[in-house]
Amino acid sequence: MRGFTAFLRKEFAETVRTWRIWVLPGIMLFFGVLGPVTARLTPALLESVAKSQPGVVFKIPPPTWVDSYAQWVKNLSQLGAFAVLIIAAGVIANERRSGTAVLVLTKPLSRAGFVVAKFLSLLALLAFSVFVGAAATWALTLVVFGEAPVAQLAAVSGVWLASGAFIVGVMTLVSALLPSQVAAAGVGLGVFAITGIASLWEPLRRYSPFGLGNALAPLLQGKATHLEWPLVTTALALVVLVGLAAAVFRRVEL
Amino acid sequence: MSPATTARTAVAEPMTDVVRGNAGGTEPAVEIRGLVKRYGSKNALDQLDLVVEQGSVFGFLGPNGAGKTTTLRILTGLARPTSGSARVFGHDVERATNEVRQLVGYLPDVPGFYGWMHAEEFLRFAGSLFGVARRELDERIPLLLDLAGLTDVRTPIAGYSRGMKQRLGVAQALVNAPRLLMLDEPTSALDPIGRKEVLGMIAGLRGRTTVFFSTHILSDVERVCDTVAILDAGRVVAQAPIPELKARYSTHRLRLEVDGSRVELETALRAAPWLTSLGVAEDGSLELSVGDLPRAQRDVPALVARFGLGLRRFEGGEVSLEDVFVQLVTGGGR
Repeated sequence: MRGFTAFLRKEFAETVRTWRIWVLPGIMLFFGVLGPVTARLTPALLESVAKSQPGVVFKIPPPTWVDSYAQWVKNLSQLGAFAVLIIAAGVIANERRSGTAVLVLTKPLSRAGFVVAKFLSLLALLAFSVFVGAAATWALTLVVFGEAPVAQLAAVSGVWLASGAFIVGVMTLVSALLPSQVAAAGVGLGVFAITGIASLWEPLRRYSPFGLGNALAPLLQGKATHLEWPLVTTALALVVLVGLAAAVFRRVEL
Repeated sequence: MSPATTARTAVAEPMTDVVRGNAGGTEPAVEIRGLVKRYGSKNALDQLDLVVEQGSVFGFLGPNGAGKTTTLRILTGLARPTSGSARVFGHDVERATNEVRQLVGYLPDVPGFYGWMHAEEFLRFAGSLFGVARRELDERIPLLLDLAGLTDVRTPIAGYSRGMKQRLGVAQALVNAPRLLMLDEPTSALDPIGRKEVLGMIAGLRGRTTVFFSTHILSDVERVCDTVAILDAGRVVAQAPIPELKARYSTHRLRLEVDGSRVELETALRAAPWLTSLGVAEDGSLELSVGDLPRAQRDVPALVARFGLGLRRFEGGEVSLEDVFVQLVTGGGR
């Protein structure tokens, strides 16, 4: 346990003192700024396109905070998920490649402790990054649209954070299996492409973590959503994925 | 002061304060029986047997690819054996991983550090992984930094030379005052000064802890080790204190140069009971391998005198560890 606490502390220190603190929070901050700006400018852009084409008429209602939040959610669900996947692919693989894993794992730190600390530190960074992006979205939405309800933004950001945590869990397992970040990222992309298709199946969407992404749009529009099962199965999946990653990594020769 | 020109301090002195780990127990520090490690169809270790007694400075010698690193990786729990057993102070390395790690300090052949950390920070981090108390670390870390010649270095580890990293590697392996220090090729990448310093550090540990270090550099072993095991193709082909090993495998060498025709002398030498082999060196002198050195030293000058030849050069000495090593790994000694 002492080894685990020391290693977890090192992980947080490493996050703050290296490029890590700039990349994911930077990406999320960019999305946070981009969302309200895109929502504000899109009608004007479409109007100018319509003017250049005689006979084409666009009837676009004036944008509101809902459009701003929708842009934030869209960016998170696409590029955000991709960024998390790529970064998480190196969560264990990078320490193996650099040789630092050898130096710490020949001291009284268990392989399971190593994996759990890596997972928790990345999860904390993801939560911080989403908070930064959501805060930027809220502030800019308020400035641009004069209205920015906190509850809806917190709800969609929180639900997406749960699906982001699921990505981190899957990639922790893949990264424990494979010795290189690139290979882990490739396999991770494959896994999510397949599961993305599989999530078209209604029961999977209703009961599994794949239901989280589909619930974001209705949640934003204030429609009824059934998130209980996806949230419960996501929590269970995280325990199973990290447990599997620890079990797999215990067998890996360094 | 720049990292490259950092003052490299005398290293043996602080050791007394840093390492107090050799107390207690009579079981061997390392005991390996019938160890096999297979990668596909290749046996990296092939029924390896090895015993390292407590308190020794033990050289684990072998050519590249002999299985030295694989043995160390198994002892540190980084790899699993295919079969056989490995014990450290009586603990099975596969079952009692935490107990073993608590007793061991390890330096891999290419140590990987967190480049953003400073040396002191890394030592503190390494100590906290062992659960060493903060007050104890406060006392120990300055000694270890002094030992590694890194006291005045202010740059992060990312800016260190290979030698500085290697010295920091030895220091971090000592942070828990280990009962067994395992070093994998600790001098292979160092310049002559760096090598001298690291060997000085190892020599300074004699009697305070058990040192088990692998190398393919024979002179390093001769310089600091009291016992040596020679590994070849995954097997220990010899293990003994160095003087005993030399005596066991020595055919003493003599070199003889005479004036005049040496045909009759060569015939007489070949008939001598103590002669193992007779050859001609590149410079034309005779090379004699002898089993009984004192007798050869008496008989050779007498034979030279008997055939009326002038004695120009007659020199010799004991076989070196290198001779033993070459003899063993090329198959001559088995």
